[in-house]
Amino acid sequence: MIKDITIGQYFPQRSFVHSLDPRSKIILTVMFIVLIFLCKNAWSLLLMSAFLIAVILVSKVPLRLFIKSIKPILPIIIFTTVLNLFYVSGGTTLVAWSFIRITTKGIYTAIFMAVRIIALIMASSLLTYTTTPTMLTDGIERLLSPLNVFHVQVHTLAMMMTLALRFIPTLIDEIDRIMNAQKARGADLESGGLIARSKALIPILVPLLVSAFRRAYELAFAMECRCYQGGEGRTRMKKMKLGLRDIVSFLSVSTCIAGVVLLNKYFGSLI
Amino acid sequence: MSVTVLKTEKLTYIYGIKTPFEHVAVKNINIDIEKGELIGVIGHTGSGKSTLIQHFNALLKPTEGSVFVDGVDIWQDKESTRNARFSVGLCFQYPEYQLFEETVGKDIAFGPKNMGLSSEETERRVRTAINFVGLDETYLDKSPFDLSGGEKRRVAIAGVMAMEPKILVLDEPCAGLDPKGRDTVLSLISEYRKNTGSTVMIVSHSMEDVAKIATKVLVMNKGEEAMFGTVDEVYSRADELVSMGLNIPEITSVFLKLKEKGFDVRTDIYTVEDGRKELLRYLKGGSAK
Repeated sequence: MIKDITIGQYFPQRSFVHSLDPRSKIILTVMFIVLIFLCKNAWSLLLMSAFLIAVILVSKVPLRLFIKSIKPILPIIIFTTVLNLFYVSGGTTLVAWSFIRITTKGIYTAIFMAVRIIALIMASSLLTYTTTPTMLTDGIERLLSPLNVFHVQVHTLAMMMTLALRFIPTLIDEIDRIMNAQKARGADLESGGLIARSKALIPILVPLLVSAFRRAYELAFAMECRCYQGGEGRTRMKKMKLGLRDIVSFLSVSTCIAGVVLLNKYFGSLI
Repeated sequence: MSVTVLKTEKLTYIYGIKTPFEHVAVKNINIDIEKGELIGVIGHTGSGKSTLIQHFNALLKPTEGSVFVDGVDIWQDKESTRNARFSVGLCFQYPEYQLFEETVGKDIAFGPKNMGLSSEETERRVRTAINFVGLDETYLDKSPFDLSGGEKRRVAIAGVMAMEPKILVLDEPCAGLDPKGRDTVLSLISEYRKNTGSTVMIVSHSMEDVAKIATKVLVMNKGEEAMFGTVDEVYSRADELVSMGLNIPEITSVFLKLKEKGFDVRTDIYTVEDGRKELLRYLKGGSAK
């Protein structure tokens, strides 16, 4: 059951999107997320969706993976849609029955919010599907490096992130092991009420924490033994380079933003 | 006289069935284990030993085939599955990582409490178990996290023993212990069996450990049962064991080499003590066996 968690799942593939520099991919994703919220009418929304789908096709990551990534967010999407539907007022009233009022603006807002959330999830999944966790943290580290001026330990933060990601599968295995060991001693993890169940977690969480600390100490020692002393003066095995591909991508996203802004101006805004 | 306590029939287990990662871990295992035996399970890493033993107390459900404890199919209904959990005590590799309570006593009591035993009975079992593993009762109030590695291991084993299972299964009980710790753990397991008359199963890499205390040996190779017989039967097929990537005890290989060189010595020697006796016998010139 725990193995279903999909955080930062990388989908190996050779594609234009995969080969982009992680820094540009992060910036482009942020730009695209801004773009999602710029869309004000059906035409700009359509342009944005078409662009997103085109990029997904270029990335050669199967579409079903994106659908899978939306699944856990589905309740939130439904919740916001319903809320918007009933609570946004404006435009012409379509249904007015006791306390329920559905207006045209409500319907538009509901649809827009749903499409935006889906696009948001898909765009960020695209980033994690096409970028390995190490590349991603490397990219973040480089992007945030100007903060070093303000004595923010960017390298340390990035290293912490890399290590955290690295240990997710290890800890999942560990949980499995401990759960089996406690089940063998008759621990009942599946039945009982909320309190009984949370109590049943203690025999699993305590050993898990103990071993997580043990691992952390061991890792810290191992890193020190290999003369790790933070980011200063550290060189990289893989140098990041911006190339023609990155320029092309920046140009296309910028064009898309321009297109959306023009469409917004031309057709007016719906919400 | 002999009573079968554990039996498997065409036991097969496949990991990740119907995914690209499908992998047959255990294939067609048919074994009968009799009451009071001490079985050594040996095999190379990834030979399916650990997967196999997790079937005995119903942690894994066989893909095919069945497991019988005391003649009852453990997957027949919920009740029998629950019974199997308690009548087969499984102690995992590095069991010290499962300790969680504030005191050793409470931790050992975890199993008996889950069985729904009364507090007097639990108390009695905790005391018996701590004695079985050779620690005195002053340990009961200590925190398990303050103990040494070897002591933690023994406390964890006591936690399984306190459930007084009919069959005690230990996965690599000596892994990561120093030679003295290994000997202690092995002899206390052997003592436990003698005193309680229960059946014990030990999974191990080390042929020496198994040879010292086991009555029967199950050799696993690539998920299949390669050999199952008495220690003598199994170790007499040394060549096959070596071809499976397993080592026979060093003392045995010394005697095999001696035999090869033309010395008329026995080759069913698994412990240094037996080796010494055999050499003395040979040197005294007694060629009669």
